[in-house]
Amino acid sequence: MATDPAELPVVGTDHDAGFGSVYSAVDAYYSKRITEFGPIPLGVDWTCLPTQQMRFVQLLKLCDFGSPFSLNDLGCGYGALIDYLDWRHDNAEIDYLGVDLSDTMIRAARDLRQDRRKISFEVGTRSPRVADYSVASGVFNIQVHESREVWESLVARTLEDLYGTSRLGFAVNFVTAGRGGTLDSHGLYGTDPPKWEDYCHSAFGAKTRVIDGYGLSEFTLLAWRREPGTLSARTGSGLLQ
Amino acid sequence: MGIGVRAEDIYIPTFLDLFNLRFGHSLSRDPASPNYGGIAEIAALQREFQIFRGGRPFVETARLLGLGGIANDPAKNWWFEQLAKLPHFASDTSENGDERIVNALIANLARDQPLPCSMRAHDGREMDASRVIVSENATPLFFFDYRNYLTISLPMRPSTGSATQAGSSGH
Repeated sequence: MATDPAELPVVGTDHDAGFGSVYSAVDAYYSKRITEFGPIPLGVDWTCLPTQQMRFVQLLKLCDFGSPFSLNDLGCGYGALIDYLDWRHDNAEIDYLGVDLSDTMIRAARDLRQDRRKISFEVGTRSPRVADYSVASGVFNIQVHESREVWESLVARTLEDLYGTSRLGFAVNFVTAGRGGTLDSHGLYGTDPPKWEDYCHSAFGAKTRVIDGYGLSEFTLLAWRREPGTLSARTGSGLLQ
Repeated sequence: MGIGVRAEDIYIPTFLDLFNLRFGHSLSRDPASPNYGGIAEIAALQREFQIFRGGRPFVETARLLGLGGIANDPAKNWWFEQLAKLPHFASDTSENGDERIVNALIANLARDQPLPCSMRAHDGREMDASRVIVSENATPLFFFDYRNYLTISLPMRPSTGSATQAGSSGH
């Protein structure tokens, strides 16, 4: 289950250093979306509810619903994952924390779900707590005006954060660029599965699974710790000792 | 009979295109391709969520998929109002217009290789034409080197027109 944030060592006050302008641009992009469309899939840049929920289906293949667990939802938007969990996993006991860098998103999420037990939201670029699992849907897709190099540095940093704040594993999704191709058009970041799957192997020693073929031009990457709650030498943040 | 179209309803072709883009042929059968999508996406959504199902009006799924667009709320609402009338339309089978569309889509999406779909309109002022017509052996987008489409044709007419007027004017 979740670790008390007070037990976490300080990761560093300069966590956002180097990416401040990137986070600001992403914040501006999504805050504008939610302001324009409200708390609906379009407000977080998905075409419709079924495609938004199709991503949740894939991401949650990470989790063992047979026992209670804690879940961090990075880039939670207005908290749409909660609606999906209510719909399809109503009996599951989940301690949920949604994190989003957009204050506008978090306010919308809180407004929608006041007085819900074991559901909370925080503004931030990483989770302030360790949970059993972490998911992040669509957080790597819009690279705004950043170069591919900068964006991939941010992706790597985010994966490290997800790994460092997940006791059992994490799941993310990417727009697919095709085998060996790229798709840097219209501010969209596209990649191919081996790149980040290999990264999770080498950086974290994680067990991974790639899911595609679910109708969308993307793939989902699931990554589990080989030994729950232990650290790899590479990350060494001390979060999960 | 059919959907009565006013002069200001200039977004109708856009609404038809919104359907046609989402239900059109996938540019790739390779899930790893950025061109994967179209009917493959809809088929996947159907397998996972049964977005089309018996007893659920077509308009509900159209709303769910955002087939009214985002640019013009009055136009979108008008379009959904028209789609909501489909249960009152006849079809080329014993089903009503709404059942005909939904059942045809369910059957198509259950195939191993669903046909891409095309929505279009026909002149509802013609005698015996005020029905929803669905066909499977059509090539409405003949300029694509592609196989057949499941074609859904909606009856439409000018909102001031009638079958009698249409007949007298030679339509």
